Parts: sequence; structure tokens; C-alpha cells
Amino acid sequence: MGYVAVTAGEELIERAADLFDAQRADDEPPVTLDQFDGQLARLTAQAMSEGGLYAPRLAALAVKQAQGDSVEAAFLLRAYRSTLERWDETEPVDPDELFATRRVSPAYKDVPGGQILGPTKDYTQRLLDFGLVDEGTVTDPTADWDIATDRDDGESGPEEPGHDEKDQRGRLTNVMQVLRDEGLVAPAGDPPTEEPVDTTREPVTHPPEREAVLQELARGETGAITALGYSALRGYGQVHPTLAEVRVGQLPVQVEHPYTSDQVRVTDTGVTETEAIVPVYEKRDDPQFAFGYGLTFGRNERKAIGMSVLDASIALKGSDEPAEDPEFVLDTVDAMDAFGFIEHLKLPHYVTFESILDRIRTLRDDDAEPPRAEAAEPPDATGSNESSIDTGSGGGPGETDSDGGEDGE
Amino acid sequence: MKPTRTGVRTVSEPDCGESHASDGTTGEATGESGGTPVEAEDVDGALAALDGAGLAGYNYAYLDEHTKREVRRAVLKAIAIPGHQVPFASRPMPLARGWGTGGIQTTLSLLGPEDTLKVIDQGSDESVNAANIRRLAERTADVETTTDTTAADVIQTRHRIPEEVLDRDQVLVLQVPVTDPLRKVDPSDAANRRRHAHANYGKMWVHLYENVVEYGEIQVASRYPVTVAGRYLMDPSPIPRWDVPKLNDADNLFLFAAGREARIYAVPPHTDVEPLAFDDRPFQVERFDAPCEACGATDTYRTAVETDEGDRLVVCNDTSFCLKRREDAGLAKDHHLDRDGVDWGPGTPDADDTDQEPATNGGDRT
Repeated sequence: MGYVAVTAGEELIERAADLFDAQRADDEPPVTLDQFDGQLARLTAQAMSEGGLYAPRLAALAVKQAQGDSVEAAFLLRAYRSTLERWDETEPVDPDELFATRRVSPAYKDVPGGQILGPTKDYTQRLLDFGLVDEGTVTDPTADWDIATDRDDGESGPEEPGHDEKDQRGRLTNVMQVLRDEGLVAPAGDPPTEEPVDTTREPVTHPPEREAVLQELARGETGAITALGYSALRGYGQVHPTLAEVRVGQLPVQVEHPYTSDQVRVTDTGVTETEAIVPVYEKRDDPQFAFGYGLTFGRNERKAIGMSVLDASIALKGSDEPAEDPEFVLDTVDAMDAFGFIEHLKLPHYVTFESILDRIRTLRDDDAEPPRAEAAEPPDATGSNESSIDTGSGGGPGETDSDGGEDGE
Repeated sequence: MKPTRTGVRTVSEPDCGESHASDGTTGEATGESGGTPVEAEDVDGALAALDGAGLAGYNYAYLDEHTKREVRRAVLKAIAIPGHQVPFASRPMPLARGWGTGGIQTTLSLLGPEDTLKVIDQGSDESVNAANIRRLAERTADVETTTDTTAADVIQTRHRIPEEVLDRDQVLVLQVPVTDPLRKVDPSDAANRRRHAHANYGKMWVHLYENVVEYGEIQVASRYPVTVAGRYLMDPSPIPRWDVPKLNDADNLFLFAAGREARIYAVPPHTDVEPLAFDDRPFQVERFDAPCEACGATDTYRTAVETDEGDRLVVCNDTSFCLKRREDAGLAKDHHLDRDGVDWGPGTPDADDTDQEPATNGGDRT
């Protein structure tokens, strides 16, 4: 029987991709980008946050193309972004300029500016609403509310609002600042005087700068940030913060005007921000709270909070627990890295597997009798042996397992 | 390290003395081997200027010129310090990380329109991922592609070094999943960078010694740790042990690129590469019980195919060379070179290989 090299790789790939697209081809009208952008905004927000690119329309396209896989959508956004030239950098923006649609401060019963619940179902029962099964049109339950909002200015596209308008937007007093004014929270430190590290342009080295930590966490995978943040709360760490506040809203994007050199607002980005107060004191003689910070694109409160826990944990410089070790955290939270390497295990590995088989056969032969039987078929070549040679755990030639599974490849 | 007579004609860096351009525009071309100058005031103008070779709307060879230049700088530094892992700002690519993104960034940074590219994955040109990578290069860099190892200028590969001997004008780009051999003994890159700085590889030697104590042999299958130019411990990527001797004193340049881990390293031509081993436990390559079912070869790396009938067939892993051998069974691995007897991995014995291959010393040709 002859072995025939497969020569249809290209065609097979195309047909597999066709099958994937065929999954969308039912009799229903295609989902529009507006529907993703509006009705599934949490999904597009996650894609933008993990992709590190604020572009709601492109995110909607990416989610549609990925058939709802948020990590795949983020991947599409990142790959697209890397082909774009970087024209300019925005001016640093003060988070106090956030136009908040939601703002709660768990630290105080009431805070300057008030508690703003905003749009949320946090405080309702999670019951499946079968009324949504066959709804005709989406009705706006707030249609007859008498509310004045200046939110429209955020959606009217690029313009140049004067500073007056910024003031009109109404700054919310930063709760953290109240505590800092009292000297209870450690100062945030001066902004870097040099150009901040940009982890999309320079690889992260360890120990990382804090801005590198925050950048990587801000782009981290939501589930990973949530899980690692939770690990610290669960006991694998010291950080159990009180949140100064959680904010959701629109943050202005400002650039320097090329002719007037004034700062002008060109658009807004939807963000979620949180600041965490951590009752861990570095100094005995002048005890101050430590703190953590979280900011993500779009509405994603669990990621922002998880990020603040991780930021605070890493700042402790303890590294006794996974969440405190910046190398561990930053090496594992990126969705593109993690999903790519996890899923690469699907690729063919028969070259390395043959090499592994050779090792276990050698070990088993050595164990049986010194001269190897000529061309004998090894007694057992099933895949279950891979793990034994791979990790040194169990199934070895009758030896004790003290290797500790170091040989993991 | 011997003086390198690099055949790196595709690595050109005419402007490397200039400071990094910060004007944010794709400015200069980068020499004769590629690069599309883009001179326009706006995006539309820039895109309009790009019609012609490659994928519409994208720069030549996909990456922007700054990125390609940065990758080439990392490559040059890697060549200057053989075996040392050079960080580079790995860009997101339209391939998943862990699927050859470092390799393709390196390949695209080296390619020019006159180059011929070969892409293999697990020894096969037609593996699905190899086909995908090749198509990206074809679409964006407008290069010729080939399956013939001897006809390629640049070969991107995953987990194999071809059986046919590479020459001084060829560059082999290996995709790397894990850049540091010390990762086996310590997961921390920060700690391992210190070990590399001090050439402190004791922990790896202890690990191998413990292997011998526990199993009687060094039990590393692929990704066999090697010492490069007597200095750096290097992970040769998950090539089988069979391919490790090919790294030593080769005519061609080997580049190792890891996109997810953002590192590039190199073995320049005619560099000493030595697998770690003990005097009484020498380095061994894989043994094979049967010649290739298709071409009869006994001097190639073979992998098993389990058939529907329950048989196990052993066939050459390098499919393109196997096809040639089926036409001409006696074809030597250096058939295309001017000189004979070029050693490339485990040698080709005159008689039946399976009778001669000692179990304990299969590939130790030094």
C-alpha cells in the first residue's frame, strides 16, 4: 500500500471555511451591525476591550464575522489594528472628565455627586424573561420619562467643544481624592516624565513598569482577569479591597489641534473605571491604604474590578501568590496569547510525537532486556503513554516518580 | 564561533544607523529586497499608491515598513549574538499566536518580490497551517512559492529541518513555541535571563542528570537543549533530535522566531552547536524500525501512519524529498551541491541502515 502525500491543502482550507460560513446561512435575515452595536453592546465591548481598539462599528463586524466568539472577534480587531499606521497620540485625559451614566461608591453611603445606579439589572432577580421569546419590537420603557440629558453631545460626532461645555458636563468628585486629601491613601505617584512604555510596541520585560502592567491588564481576557482577581479574594492573596467607586460613562478623546495647539475633543470612548482601596499598609509609622486601578473599554464592570484587584496585588511586590506575581499574571491574561497557544495543540504534532514515542520505547526496551529486538514492533504504542514520558509521572519503567514533571514538552 | 560567511542576502538594512523615524508615516523604502515607499499626505493617498503587488489595502508583505525594519534589526542582533534571545515587538498578525506568527513576521520582513518561499509544517508542504501561511505570503508579498527545498530562498518551517542540505544562500526560519530551554526547570523568564547572562546552566545539567538517575537515559524527546558557539543554551524549537546535528557548522543561516513570546534568535552559518549530553550518556537521535514505505529511505526521519486496516506504515516525514526519492531512490541529501559528502544530520550509510544503527549511539556522529 502506497502512501500518497496530501496535495489538496489549499482546497481543504477553503472548503472548511465555506462550511463555517454555511453555519450562518439559515433563512433568517442576517444580523445587522446596528443590532450588535445596540442590542449586544456588551459583546462588542468585550471584543474592543480585549482587542485594545475602540471601534464599535468594527467590533460589531468582528463579532458578526466570528459568529459571536468574543476572543476571536478581539483577535480580528488586533490583527486589523496592527496594519494601521499610527498617526498621532491623544492627550492624557483626566478620568474626572468622565460623563458618567452609572456611578456607585461602595465606600460611602453617599458621596458628592450622588450614587447613580444608571442602567443595570444588578439588583433584580435573574429570571429568564420569556416575554423576549417572540417580542415584536423592542419598546423603550423610559420613553415617557422626563429627563434632560446632554449625552447627545457625545454622539454628534467629532466637534470642538469649548471648555465651557466641559464644565457643563459636571465633574463628579473623585472619591479616592477625598481620601487622598485626608492622607489616608498612598499618593498615586507622579506621572512618568518619560514617554510611557507601550506594550504594543515593546515587549514586556520583568519586573514591568506599572504602566505596562495596567496596559496588559486593560487588554486582558475578561475571564482570566476575573478568575485571577477572584483568586486573590478567595484567599490566594492579601487584597480584599473596598471600591472607592465604579463608574461607567463616556471619556473624551482629546488631541492637540495641529494649527492652534489647543486641546480639542474629537470623540468619546465608552469606558468602565474603578478605583479600589486596599487595607494593606506599607509603613507602620505612617499607615496609608494601598490602592488599585481598573479601566476597560466599554461596559465591563467585572473586568475593571478584577483589574483593580490585580493591580493592587502586583503592587504589593509579594509574589507569594499567583495574583501577586506580575510575570505570572501578565504571561497568562492575554487572550490572544492564551487562546492561540491553547488551540495550537490542534495542529499536527506527529513529528514531536514520534520523537516522544521513540523515547518511551527506548526506556521500555532498556527495562526489558539490554539488546533491542531487531525491528520488533513495540508492545504498546498507544497515545496514553505520551503523558508518562512527558511528565515523568506514572507509567515509567517501574521507577519512582520524583522528577516533578519537569519535562513538559 | 568561526567567522560567519553569511549568505544573508535578503537581510538588508541600509538605514539602520538612522534614528527611529517618529513622524508616523511610512517613509523610506528599505533597500533592494522589498519595501514599498509610501509618500502621501493622507490614508486614501497612501492606499492608492499601494496598488500593484500584494493585497489591496495592505502594505507590501503585510507589515508596515517600520515593523519590518525592527524585525530585521532584531535578526541582525540575533546573528551577532548566536543563541541569544532578542526581544522584539511582535505584532498581532492575522494568524493565531502560537501558530507561526513569529515565523511569518520574520519571513515577511526578509522577503522581496524576487524571492522564492517554501513553507513546511511537520515536514509537509501541504499541511493545513503551512498552506495558510504560504498563502498569506503569496497574497501580500507577491513571491513565488515552491515545495522544492533546493529551489527556495527562504524556508519557513515548524518542527523540522529539511532532509536536503541547505546551502549558504538559504535562510531557514523556524517557528518557536517556547524560546527558553530553561523554562523546563524554572518558569520565570526574569530568573532565566539572569541565568543566561551568567551562563549559569547548572540547573539544566542537574535536570538531565536526574533524568539519567531516574530512567537511565536523558529522556528529552524533541526541543533538545543545545549549546551555541560555546556560550548560550538554546532551545532549537521542537525539532526532533534527528535534526539537531544539522544545526552544527551548517552552510545556511537558521533564524528562530517566537511571535507569542516576542523573541528572535539565530544560529549563523558555521557555528558550533552542541547538544547537552554526558560522556557516558551520549546524545542519541530517534531510531526507526523500518525503511520508508514509499521510497525505501533509511536515512530520513520517519513518522508512523496508522491505517484504517490497523496497519502501521512508516514513511518519510519530509514529503517533498520523499517524492524525489521515489523517482530516484539513490538521491543523496547533497545531490544539488557542487561538492559531495556534505554531512547533514545523521549520515547516509551504504548498507541497510536498520542493521547498523546502534541503539545507544544512533546519531552521535562526532
